[in-house]
Amino acid sequence: MWLGLRAILIKDIVVELRARQALPTMVVLGMLIVFILRIASESAAAGGGAPVMGAAALWIAFLFSGLLAQERSFAAEQHNGCMDGLLLAPLDAGTIYLAKLLANIILLTIFEAVVVPLVLIAFHLHVAGWGRLVTVLLLGNLGISSVGTLFSAAVQLTRTRGALLSIVVLVLLMPMMIPASFALLVLFGALPERMVGSGSFAFVGSFPAAVAYMLAFDAVFTVASWLLFGVVVEE
Amino acid sequence: MRRLLLALAFLLLIASTLIGLTRGQIDPLQRNILYVHVPNSVCALLCFVVVLVTSVGYLATGKQTWDLAATAAAEAGFVFATILNATGMIFSRAEWNVWWTPSPRLVTSAILWFLYAVYLILRVSLPGAQRRAARLCAVFGIVAFLDVPLVYISARFIPDIHRPNFSFDSTWQTAALMLGMAGTILLAAGLIWLRTSLLRDTLKLEQELLR
Repeated sequence: MWLGLRAILIKDIVVELRARQALPTMVVLGMLIVFILRIASESAAAGGGAPVMGAAALWIAFLFSGLLAQERSFAAEQHNGCMDGLLLAPLDAGTIYLAKLLANIILLTIFEAVVVPLVLIAFHLHVAGWGRLVTVLLLGNLGISSVGTLFSAAVQLTRTRGALLSIVVLVLLMPMMIPASFALLVLFGALPERMVGSGSFAFVGSFPAAVAYMLAFDAVFTVASWLLFGVVVEE
Repeated sequence: MRRLLLALAFLLLIASTLIGLTRGQIDPLQRNILYVHVPNSVCALLCFVVVLVTSVGYLATGKQTWDLAATAAAEAGFVFATILNATGMIFSRAEWNVWWTPSPRLVTSAILWFLYAVYLILRVSLPGAQRRAARLCAVFGIVAFLDVPLVYISARFIPDIHRPNFSFDSTWQTAALMLGMAGTILLAAGLIWLRTSLLRDTLKLEQELLR
């Protein structure tokens, strides 16, 4: 028994050290999660408490559940050569991308409808303006889905599919998470509508600016993904 | 030619260090790290521009050299970004008594490092045809470059303690920084060049062995 145990143990470690697939992905994924939580809880130096925890919990839940939706969005096409069939159809690759993107957005919206009330109840949060909350959530939804859908197609054939997709998507979405959590903190009443600092703490943050930033992020990544999708799926 | 480039870079870096340690010393002591920190941060960003240009070049022409150069630039960029963050943390600890804190410069530098790290992981994780993997990495390289300005804008939602500009008291200090800057940029160029040809030779050798 010891001989077998030793042989398999050494084999597993040697394979990982030679191929170096799981460990770097694991380490970077862990670092990214810590980093995103740290930034989400620090945006504009809000104090601690329920709003900060709630905003961070909400975005983390969206990111990881969104990843689940996106990962399966192209996994289903791998069987029976479905992807080849899609590519052979007289369609622009951009059209395939847009259809997949919309499907992922719809899934994530249904998910939001369930999880957002849960976060509001669990953290005892009061929302200043439901219309604005929906706007922020939908903008976040579009950003998460646009990047995720593009790279979902890219990582399908890899061994560490889900983990690889998460680090790619999390690192690209990091800049959006900063204004996104800022906007939620304003809506949860943890931050004033407009903050203007001075001196060494000079920073400009306001709710409209955060929404405008998310809009710009979504526009850049949706258009870029739509244009580059053909390159990703081409054989 | 390559050796000349690297030798020149080496000489410039030695000159920068010597001046920095003698006539160009900054008070207090920990601030002298900027002679390493600033050139490395510039090179980390420059390497990103190289990754973008070579990635676009690969998608446009399909020539393998572009792809190898993109890999080389990302590897060099990763090293520069690592030094940038490491020296930044050492300085931060000495100056502000914390290793890391969310301030715009610190957050953007960390994200830069993460982008390189993910690029390199993507490189080794993509299986199958070389051309498909190269295309996917090129796409990530382009999308990641689009992320860089967004990273810099997003940072304004965080309060700042990083000092963006540094005023020098003497020309010796300016000289040490400029020599360091020139030396590090030449080093980056030399490293990318060397690594590209090394990768090309490795591929050639593999193909010979397979035949």
